[in-house]
Amino acid sequence: MEERERILILSHITKDFPGTRALDDVSFDLYAGEIHCLVGENGAGKSTLIKILSGAEKPDQGEIILFGKTYRHLTTKQAIDLKIATIYQDVDLVDSLTVADNIFLGVELRDRLGVVDTKKQEEIAQDIMRRLNIHIDPRLLVEELSPAQKQILQLIKALHRDARILIMDEPTSSLGIEETRALLELVRTLSSQGIGIIYISHYLQEVTQIGDRITVLKDGKTVACYRKSEFTIEQLIRDMVGREASLFYRKDPVPIGEVGLRVENYSGKSLVKNVSFEVRHGEIFGLGGMVGSGRTELVNLIFGIDRRDSGELYLDGQRITPNSPRQAIRHRMCLITEDRKGSGIFPFRSVKENISIARNEQENKVALRLSAERQRVEKIIKALKIQLASIEQDINSLSGGNQQKSILGRWLLNEADVFIFDEPTKGVDIGSKEEIYRIMTDLCRQQKCIIMVSSDMPELISMSDRIGVMRDGRLIAIVNAREISEEELLRIYLGYYVEEKSNGRYVEYVSQ
Amino acid sequence: MVDMSSTSLSKPIERPHIPTWRRIIENQWFLLLIVVFLISGVTGYVNPRYFMQQNLMNILEQISVLGLVAAGATILIIAGNFDISVGSMIGLSACIMAILINRGVNEFLVGVIGVLVCILCATLNGVLSVVFRTPSFIISLAMMGVYHGIALALTQGVIQTIYGRFEFIASTKLLGFFPLLFFISILGYLFVHIILKYTQIGRRVFAIGNNPRAAFLAGINVPLNTILFFFLNGILVGMASVLILSRLGAALPSTGSGLELRAIGAVVIGGVPITGGRGNILGTFLGVLLMGVISNSLNMMRVNPYFQEVAYGLLIIFAVAISSIRYRWLGAR
Repeated sequence: MEERERILILSHITKDFPGTRALDDVSFDLYAGEIHCLVGENGAGKSTLIKILSGAEKPDQGEIILFGKTYRHLTTKQAIDLKIATIYQDVDLVDSLTVADNIFLGVELRDRLGVVDTKKQEEIAQDIMRRLNIHIDPRLLVEELSPAQKQILQLIKALHRDARILIMDEPTSSLGIEETRALLELVRTLSSQGIGIIYISHYLQEVTQIGDRITVLKDGKTVACYRKSEFTIEQLIRDMVGREASLFYRKDPVPIGEVGLRVENYSGKSLVKNVSFEVRHGEIFGLGGMVGSGRTELVNLIFGIDRRDSGELYLDGQRITPNSPRQAIRHRMCLITEDRKGSGIFPFRSVKENISIARNEQENKVALRLSAERQRVEKIIKALKIQLASIEQDINSLSGGNQQKSILGRWLLNEADVFIFDEPTKGVDIGSKEEIYRIMTDLCRQQKCIIMVSSDMPELISMSDRIGVMRDGRLIAIVNAREISEEELLRIYLGYYVEEKSNGRYVEYVSQ
Repeated sequence: MVDMSSTSLSKPIERPHIPTWRRIIENQWFLLLIVVFLISGVTGYVNPRYFMQQNLMNILEQISVLGLVAAGATILIIAGNFDISVGSMIGLSACIMAILINRGVNEFLVGVIGVLVCILCATLNGVLSVVFRTPSFIISLAMMGVYHGIALALTQGVIQTIYGRFEFIASTKLLGFFPLLFFISILGYLFVHIILKYTQIGRRVFAIGNNPRAAFLAGINVPLNTILFFFLNGILVGMASVLILSRLGAALPSTGSGLELRAIGAVVIGGVPITGGRGNILGTFLGVLLMGVISNSLNMMRVNPYFQEVAYGLLIIFAVAISSIRYRWLGAR
């Protein structure tokens, strides 16, 4: 191999977030003209690594060496000046501008009068694309482009800015087979022009095709780094999972009752396709799958948040299909969302109000009964061991775990029967995590129906009774959580089969 | 494996204890009260007539109408909405009432109609804002012109004098000295206070103002309640239009114009952030009082009335600066 410049070295990077260590002594490097793939389970630390490189996060320890210069951390401006371009899943292009305008956004060509020279921009854009053998009309508005064309346009935009390091985060997750092939082709062309590319994907097939090197991250650590053709997919999967047993929370066995919730043929927004499953009383039905597989979209449909194209919901044989959260709550359902700040808490209101809001809303009395309210809230706070100075203090001043417990309290107070958890322990410290697991187990004992979306595989396996696996909007399999290993589960996530065995365990393939 | 032992173990991150004296100083109403007393002291020193009962009652009378409008605006702004057409609404309602009185319609009935006109206009603003999913600021900006135009068309731009036939409200003094106008204004504040503090509607005001998405997910019907807030605002604006007609004894389409901005100013001075979510009626009351006191003081000190507008502007800047500094303190912990 010819001699190439090592343009990026991350050495011994550590980054802590409250409750978790996102990156733990990670080292990583990149050569000019190399495609270095990064794989790992949800939450392995890939995103944090990108954020450090694009200047969005500061590492707590370690050094970043870029083009021979050492940095403690980068600012976003430095990252741009150093020609590091990050291309995210959610495309950041301006829909209402043309292809050419987007390429030149912020570095517009001007004529003598200082007016943007659209013509020249279009010519140059056309030129770049011709060289790369891409056929997109530079005068088209971006909103008229397909997802694949948008990805490609982002690449061209980065290229036009003389990017020397390109970071691509799941660029193909919304693309079809043909489009993916075209994109990969382009990525290869770019690398042959000397650009270093960090390529993140959970499509292992792609990674094996395109990567010069592959680094596997797990729980914030690098567990392996392979050269091309030195590894098998089997090996990658094994590297991505596998944990110490001590971290598994052991859920006490709870007797499981009759079928409670029946989800039938839910489809919507082309992100969820014809999903059906049942949840029994006292059961936790886990929903797994890679990020972007449609898990959150599914539970949002079930809770009546988004408009569905089809689907009916039954609780204890009675049709309850909600069209709004209000209706869902009336049927004693609740949803505890992933985004606590954005859609859970009322930050500047008291813990008391935050807990009692849903119950009050259902009772729908004009005048509040303040003393009864106070007593009820205090009971909940005691039961959930929420730590606070006063129930009148702003919920904002509580820790993440206590906020989460307060939200749980909101629904316990409303006597919900169906609990939908979306990432119940995200951003929650270990102590509160176990509390939340304990509460969930209690809910099972009370024969509630529970759906739990989780990206945390040990959590999913240890807390669920059965796990539904989502992939590309479909529920592809339902597996018995007692019998599955992390490795097997990840294989199903990634679209590989797992042999069914006879001794009581089962993997039921629902659709393909 | 992630090293869990090194990370925080379920330790609640509580707000550090803030001493009581700092809490008092950081309270918006406390600051406002001090400013009110300061200005009063200075004015009273310059012109002793300031502290005469007659003048103090005058101040209260002068701030009655603004008080009602500001009380309504408090609900809307906390919930994250605006209605800047209330001035034109008052003009329209006052003109309609004046015309009806001149046609000999019963005065009580006229008052009811005046309030209904405002309720109708305000609710319409809410409905339009919700149906077209447009910020209420824009909708009410547009409707401001509509209401004003209707009033112009009805009156042909001619002043509608009612020859003192509606005067009893403005001229009545309770116990011989306390203006009825201000008493009604106090009822308006109380009405809003009770809603905000003791009803589920009030909880929704704050919930929607804090986090509309979370409110929706907690089962609150956000659009319907937003319309309800506009409706409530309409009641208060309607009362204000009756009072203003009674005080002035005549109506013009431009009657009440400018009130909307002074009301928003008073609410902001009272400590409600323009993004909503926080605040209380006491702050608004003090904000209105401060505006009244400043206006009266400037008169008492014979300052050119044109400068009063300047004073209002500076006052709002001052209030916003104080809140901003306060939140920065608290935010920095």
